Amino acid sequence: MIKKKPEASPRRRRPYRQLPHTADLAWRLWGASLPELFENAGCALSATLTDRRYLRRRATREVSLEAFDREALLVDWLNHLLYLFDVDGFVGRDFQVVSLTDEHLEARVTGESFDPARHPSLTGVKAATFHQLSIVPAGDGWQATVVLDL
Amino acid sequence: MIKLRQIDAYRWEIPREGKMRTRGLIFCSKEMLPSLQEDQSLQQVANVATLPGIVGPSLAMPDIHWGYGFAIGGVAAFDLEEGIVSPGGVGYDINCGVRLLRTRLSREQVAPLMKTLVDALFTNIPSGVGSRRQDFKLTGAALKKVLKDGCRWAVKEGFGEAGDLAHIEAGGAIDGADPEAVSDFALNRGKDQLGTLGSGNHFVEVGYIDEIYDPALAAQLGLFQDQVTAIVHTGSRGLGHQVCEDYIKVMLKASAKYGIELPDRQLCCAPLASPEGQRYLAAMAGAANFAFANRQLITHWVRESFEQVFHMGPRDLGLELVYDVCHNIAKIETHTVEGKPRKLCVHRKGATRAFPPHHPEVPEAYRETGQPVLIPGDMGRYSFVLVGTEKAITETFGSTCHGAGRLMSRHQAKKVAHGRSIIQELAAQGIIVRGAGRGAIDEEISEAYKDVSGVVDVVHGAGIARKVARLKPLGVIKG
Repeated sequence: MIKKKPEASPRRRRPYRQLPHTADLAWRLWGASLPELFENAGCALSATLTDRRYLRRRATREVSLEAFDREALLVDWLNHLLYLFDVDGFVGRDFQVVSLTDEHLEARVTGESFDPARHPSLTGVKAATFHQLSIVPAGDGWQATVVLDL
Repeated sequence: MIKLRQIDAYRWEIPREGKMRTRGLIFCSKEMLPSLQEDQSLQQVANVATLPGIVGPSLAMPDIHWGYGFAIGGVAAFDLEEGIVSPGGVGYDINCGVRLLRTRLSREQVAPLMKTLVDALFTNIPSGVGSRRQDFKLTGAALKKVLKDGCRWAVKEGFGEAGDLAHIEAGGAIDGADPEAVSDFALNRGKDQLGTLGSGNHFVEVGYIDEIYDPALAAQLGLFQDQVTAIVHTGSRGLGHQVCEDYIKVMLKASAKYGIELPDRQLCCAPLASPEGQRYLAAMAGAANFAFANRQLITHWVRESFEQVFHMGPRDLGLELVYDVCHNIAKIETHTVEGKPRKLCVHRKGATRAFPPHHPEVPEAYRETGQPVLIPGDMGRYSFVLVGTEKAITETFGSTCHGAGRLMSRHQAKKVAHGRSIIQELAAQGIIVRGAGRGAIDEEISEAYKDVSGVVDVVHGAGIARKVARLKPLGVIKG
């Protein structure tokens, strides 16, 4: 059984929303903690590629990444998810950060292979970029901005 | 707000200021200015001007828009000894580009079978998010050959004719590619993606010549009124994206190591003369060659689709390559600077090479006309064929615009398209469109783009390319 995440309280902020950007796609991400911020980043990416609701929890990928700082780690995380998608079509539905430091991330992603017959094809993403990248404390949580190249 | 000084009807200057090592030079019309000042593209032109070893101005074409690091539509040349190379100045989609094919067919001949043709193209060419070919797999060794030999590999394997190679920028293979400089991650991403269109603004379009501006030049390019044409627009897919990502990480470290001050991390770079710089160039050339081969394979399937639908042989169809140009690339080229020839590394990010008649790098067939330049527009309006000019060589290191540029974000475009059937609207205009997803088509609606004729009029008016013909779409497959 996969444990369901607790329902969001009405006061909680939206985990991700799009910022205006003409050519590409900018996401404003939010999380009550840094691990949650990273999990929400994964959700935002899957929601860009397809409709997450159609994704089933059929396969799991363990991810372990090193980067030189927290921002670079966020970019690496998103790009690694794109790598999994390109290599065997894997798209994550649920993202669980197992451990996170400024330079290291361990995560477990549950989802399935993209199937054009089952999953709507939304927006293709080439990469997450360092342009205007930021992770800052915001209120009682963390906020990040990341621009995706489409 | 960035200061701008008008030079003439088509040229605007960002005066050198602060840490800028040179001025910025923007090609655009007065009408385009307000939208440029709304975003950060002008700041990005100024940022590029701060990079070490820049030669001449930091340039922007009229389709300039806000990118990441370098603006899209940006051109910058760097000295081989003092200058730098930046993966962000090439972009993630290394050698994203377009090629134009002509046919012997006229518009009337294809009209009754257009829907069948679009369906055949859609079946034969994998497109959309996560597109891959099931029947065509590359071994690791073959993939490395693709990186080394580009279109030469494709033609040797039977995808196309030897004659194609003479009608591709750099002959369809950039020298100095080293597959060993490309990571296993990048190779893995690329192995099932050769011969796939991808998504976003990538497309295959069948159209016809709707207007000719310069009959003599058009005839020399083999183009005639109402002639059916095909355009292929795609790039290096996941392999190129991964090469860019890998080297951005290398360059973030290298920028610190070599003491290069960066106004934006995405501008990270290394000296051209450094091992990091040289290795990036070798990897980039590999990804560029993958993109050339990708367009070559898709071209082969375009030819097959026409043969299936019209039951005609290659000779009667006459599906010949007019030219293939790169949009995102860094090239080592010789340019005359202050009267002396100098080898430079010219970054073109969302810009097209536009070499003049008699330039040694222009293929034999176009020695008298100048290199063909293909400027695709949006799927509802038109595209243009131009040729390179002497003025482009002297003012823009032989570069010109690359497309229309977006006016609306994808989100806005979807809102505008909401509740409408874009496919039916286009069908009413005589354009048949098929896409992998509804979202992909809605995001690419005509209104989401600037009118490409405005962009083309600026480069023609400024003399950095010359208009030859206009193409209108009949059928499009979108990624």
